[in-house]
Amino acid sequence: MSGAFRTIRELGADIRAGRVSPVTLAEACMKRLETVGRALNAVVTVTRERALAQARRVETELAAGHDRGPLHGIPYGAKDLLATSGGIPTTWGAAPFRERCFDHDATVIRRLEDAGAVLVAKLAMVEFAGGMGYRQPNASFTGPGISPWAADAWSGGSSSGSGSAVGAGLVPFAIGSETWGSILGPATYCSISGLRPTYGRVSRHGAMALCWTLDKLGPLALTADDCGLVLDAIAGPDPRDATAAERAYRYEAADGERRFRFAVVRGTVEASEPAVRDGVRGALETLRELGTIEEITLPDRPYEPMARMILWAEGASAFERLIEGGTIQGLTAPEDRVIPYARDAILAKDYLRALRLRGVVAREIDAVLAGFDAIVGPSRGTAGPRLGTEFRSAIRGSVPDVLGAIGNAAGLPAVGVPCAFTVDGLPVGMQFLGRAWEENTVLAAARAWQARTDWHQRRPGA
Amino acid sequence: MTDEADILFALIRARYAARLDAAQLEELRKTVEGIVRDVATLRAASIPDDAEPGQPFVPFRAAS
Repeated sequence: MSGAFRTIRELGADIRAGRVSPVTLAEACMKRLETVGRALNAVVTVTRERALAQARRVETELAAGHDRGPLHGIPYGAKDLLATSGGIPTTWGAAPFRERCFDHDATVIRRLEDAGAVLVAKLAMVEFAGGMGYRQPNASFTGPGISPWAADAWSGGSSSGSGSAVGAGLVPFAIGSETWGSILGPATYCSISGLRPTYGRVSRHGAMALCWTLDKLGPLALTADDCGLVLDAIAGPDPRDATAAERAYRYEAADGERRFRFAVVRGTVEASEPAVRDGVRGALETLRELGTIEEITLPDRPYEPMARMILWAEGASAFERLIEGGTIQGLTAPEDRVIPYARDAILAKDYLRALRLRGVVAREIDAVLAGFDAIVGPSRGTAGPRLGTEFRSAIRGSVPDVLGAIGNAAGLPAVGVPCAFTVDGLPVGMQFLGRAWEENTVLAAARAWQARTDWHQRRPGA
Repeated sequence: MTDEADILFALIRARYAARLDAAQLEELRKTVEGIVRDVATLRAASIPDDAEPGQPFVPFRAAS
């Protein structure tokens, strides 16, 4: 039994029924990671030794009646910006760090181990999580991430390997990070579910810092339900991260009869490229079966410039030593060796203005969201950029992304789910954006969507 | 190129020109222009005088 394309819940049932063992499952995943995963440029390191040790331990525990919960024995991959001990490299996707190791585990890695999950791979990512300004897919020393849906299409970034490994059925879930688009983007292009938690919901301890006030860690999985199961294991306060909120989180998976109140921000669907626009419009028609959809307008604010200013300024500071010391000259994408220097042009007063505006925006958006369960819209305004070509990006200002700018700058949770395919067979995604700390609400909406549709059950060809 | 972009690009060039070629400098010039455009948009946005940045500083005291 390979376990490919089986959800966490399905695999958990198989493990408890004795139909598959954690060791067998981990072995099967690692075999596919070494073959399919390498072909998709999704893998940095297969963590064989650690995986087998963990799998044997949880297998013994289960035999002795010790069940750690839904993730017990479930294999997973981690974006390679999460620190791992034991001689496993943590490369940040950057060639200069391909041999670099840490002596500790990130909090997320520790929590998943405590939950019985089995780390089978460190997954590929865009170098420095895209913070240097890349504009084409070939921006990692492992090569451009490839979507399981087309050999010439990008998997998205910066959690490239996390997206394609789940999308190709190599692992049932993976951990990614999002500063602006790095979970929802790969989730879209690989036709899987991705959850960007509220800022501070998940500890960032041991994760590469790109932007201290924007970075979030979250799961990518086959279903929204699986994302909730993973968030339950990784969320919560952490004394090692002062920005981790003092809020407990419990995933609420129960689905009662419920009508949702959705909002669509005027212009966000129309701003997408035609194939995405048409896919999301069709999805909205189906969504009306789950509740009401009201078109709204938001206050006229420079959302994208605000988010860009914060991202660029914090990234310039977080990577100051690597930029000014010349380490970036060893990066893969030529533009990543140049663009970071331009961030010296940002004045402190303008960065602070962006932070002050963010506070205003956070209050305004919360007031809007108070009347709804979620704002819905495209997860990405574009479908599957092709390898070898320049893609459009809100981070560079070449495409609008109001929901991404607001959601990330205001630290709001969003879950992205598959909702259509283009005529070329490339995935289209829809997001549910909610109020701060309302992961359970957006996950409930996404589960209702996935109970009504089968987009998340479609699988890529060989 | 605006005066502000000109001045800021001159700063970048003074700091980093030695490690960049002409094409790279041109790319930086365009990037600086984009930053200045974004900044102009931000400066035009109305913000209440009492709006503070969202990250409160927290004094540190060790547990012991």
